[in-house]
Amino acid sequence: MPSVCFYFEVHQPYRLKPYGTMQVGRDHEYFDATLNAEVMRKVADKCYLPANEAMLRLIERSDGRFRISYAVTGVLIEQAKAYCPQVLDSFVRLANTGAVEFVAETYYHSLASLYDRDEYEAQIQLGMDLVRSEFGKVPRVFRNTELIYDDGIGHLISDLGFDAILCEGADDVLGWRSPNFVYRVPGRETRLLTKNYRLSDDIAFRFSNKGWAEYPLTANKFASWIHQHSGAGDVVNLFMDYETFGEHQWRETGIFEFLDHFPDTLLSHPHWDIATPSEVIDRYPALGDLSFGRTVSWADEARDISAWRGNEMQQRALREIYALGEDVKERNNSYLLDLWRKLQTSDHFYYMATKSASDAEVHDYFSPYEGPYDAFIHYMNVLKDLRRSVLHDEEKISA
Amino acid sequence: MLGWEYPPHISGGLGTACEGLTRALAKRGIEIDFVVPHLYGKEDAEHMRIFGASDSRSPIEIATRAPASIRSTETGRVPTRASVPVDPGSTESSETFRMISVPAMLKPYLDRATYEMLVAEGVGALPTDVVETLPEAEAVLEAIQEDAGSEADSGSLDPSPTPEGSREAHYGSDLFAEVARYANAATRRVRGRRYDLVHAHDWMTFPAGAEIAARAGAPLVTHVHSLEYDRAAEGADRDIVAVEHQGLELATRVVAVSYYTRGLIHQVHGTNLEKISVVHNGVYARETVQAYTRERDSKGPVVLFLGRVTFQKGPEYFVEAAARVLQQVPDATFVMAGSGDMLPRMKAMVENLGIEESFRFPGFVRGAELERTFSTADVYVMPSVSEPFGIAPLEAMSYDRPVVVSKQSGVSEVLRNALKVDFWDVDRMASQIVGLLELPELRHVIVERAREEIRHIHWDAAAEKLIPIYQSLLPN
Repeated sequence: MPSVCFYFEVHQPYRLKPYGTMQVGRDHEYFDATLNAEVMRKVADKCYLPANEAMLRLIERSDGRFRISYAVTGVLIEQAKAYCPQVLDSFVRLANTGAVEFVAETYYHSLASLYDRDEYEAQIQLGMDLVRSEFGKVPRVFRNTELIYDDGIGHLISDLGFDAILCEGADDVLGWRSPNFVYRVPGRETRLLTKNYRLSDDIAFRFSNKGWAEYPLTANKFASWIHQHSGAGDVVNLFMDYETFGEHQWRETGIFEFLDHFPDTLLSHPHWDIATPSEVIDRYPALGDLSFGRTVSWADEARDISAWRGNEMQQRALREIYALGEDVKERNNSYLLDLWRKLQTSDHFYYMATKSASDAEVHDYFSPYEGPYDAFIHYMNVLKDLRRSVLHDEEKISA
Repeated sequence: MLGWEYPPHISGGLGTACEGLTRALAKRGIEIDFVVPHLYGKEDAEHMRIFGASDSRSPIEIATRAPASIRSTETGRVPTRASVPVDPGSTESSETFRMISVPAMLKPYLDRATYEMLVAEGVGALPTDVVETLPEAEAVLEAIQEDAGSEADSGSLDPSPTPEGSREAHYGSDLFAEVARYANAATRRVRGRRYDLVHAHDWMTFPAGAEIAARAGAPLVTHVHSLEYDRAAEGADRDIVAVEHQGLELATRVVAVSYYTRGLIHQVHGTNLEKISVVHNGVYARETVQAYTRERDSKGPVVLFLGRVTFQKGPEYFVEAAARVLQQVPDATFVMAGSGDMLPRMKAMVENLGIEESFRFPGFVRGAELERTFSTADVYVMPSVSEPFGIAPLEAMSYDRPVVVSKQSGVSEVLRNALKVDFWDVDRMASQIVGLLELPELRHVIVERAREEIRHIHWDAAAEKLIPIYQSLLPN
């Protein structure tokens, strides 16, 4: 009896304000509180609140047969508390249904996995603590920032005791294999759930694309595509940004109607059900080891990490922020540590990407700045101020 | 096609634009006769026939050669030159075009200093033998006469000195008489020639364009590279605005160099937006340009402003930004290359700010000096207050220079790999300049990608947009 496994990423970064060279040494408030509040409230109105309500309704209507999983970042929860507390309340209600699993990730949605192992573990622990304190759950499953994954990360996460890791079902990694089975980190018991990116992106990216041959995508059509996998797989992993519902795909596209109808249509087939990641690994055996020879992510056409460190600017910015780690930690100052970590959020580097054509469109959509060059300038100015005014000027640390 | 200048003798971007555009059009089978007020003998225009409007040395040649026209071979109805009762041998001659010298002071956007220099060098006025009546051209120019009566100081033929910033500061005296003479001389060349379409660049050629188009029974395209409003804003010359207006009214179609200019034409002249097509300028592919080896006069980095030092170009914002940059990068040098009515004020401003040690004012640069100036700069800044297009940033990019351009420029609409800033936001401008000077990664990424980008913004793209516009104006 095959399953569909839903996983939604819930995240908003602390965006930097346009921080010019004239502010260095004078202005130690780096984040754009107005913009961040505005975005948080806007996305809450368009997505988090209506989508949570829709999920809650579906769970209740199906008597818990509709099941989902989330990873909610620490920086999102902080901003929800500050700007839109009812968002957090509605996630708590979802948690209490028993049909929702919370997946662990780094609190700061950072790229620490690529740069600083100790820091990475510390941020995962913070993410775990957060899920426990806010939702009363202990995650068994882990997902790394933007599904960034390779064998090294797999071993580390396995060592931390997680039972499964969510990752991208990249074609070149899977080879002849299907993404619709459970795999194993080589040499470990930790399971891998690979995203079915074709079916996931049909919803996340193509749903409202009028140039797409399958437009409009109805619940019936999509369910029939999934039903076609009967007998040819154990699980179809549909992983996407939660903002797909109402924000990336506006309400006017019919995305909420789709969401409302899809579970019933899917479950009308007697062999299919819906399961959370933990339920999937408990139910289905691992088909074999799956080795990732390269670092994969779910971003851009390349499904690699070039979205965050594909150019010299990104590489320098990342090198510099992680180089500050030792200095920051020596201060033993929680405000400073948190500030440094907020500057590690992957979005800052995503805004600096210089991609062409379709990838650039996606990057521009998310960026609060006028392109990658200004994003890089602002970020480097902030680091300059952090080094000059905060790290080397004792009296301002407490400010 | 009616133009006002042609490389290498240019005072602004108009001549460069005409060269790039005509080359790209010629490649696509468009036959062009191009008329400028004056030829200097060094024009490199093997792709078309180029004429001085009124040549006193060779009146017979003049009569056989025609101005301003386009023949579209793509429309299938090409009136061949053989059908025109003129001098068919000239096209087969070893010279594909003949230099016909025309004394003319008609150069776009002259400032007074340059004008006086030209007078001193003995470049005389156009010949005085106005022999024909030009109903259409006069209709365009008529607006001036009406206006002239209503405003005492706008008398266009008054040779007495006028205040800086006035028409004379831009164009020299007797401007309208010269525009009329140009229209007359150009029109005389039209006799015996047939054209499918007449294309006139900027207001100085509008009267000639209107006259020739009417006589040829051909559609008129008026191409706006720059509006009087761009050049002078509130100080705009009402007579020039009036000529512009008439030219736009009489045009079958108006071409603007950017959406910015299109909006401005609509705003200033009330021209219906549907009548105005946008064709962005491009840089003529300079495959052979090899950046000069860096020969520096200064130790620190160099930031360049290159353009007319006038209100429109926003030189004071460059100075303001420089003062801020120097706080962070004290060894930077700022070069303000160009001449113009605001130059003395800029020098005074730099002194008042106490940063004259960090400034250089080399004046108007051209040719090899121009190449050297671009090649030795680390950053090029165009802080224009109002810039219809702005080719200079593309030129700077062709020298692998990173550029900062004002958002009030047409070129900022098409460029991805440039830093963009509001002209008045000098803090941001300084921040961008400092970023480019201090962050080699930023420079590398921008330059590398810009190199790729300008290949796609070249003149072929402009021609590809213009040809369908031509075709839409011609009968089937």
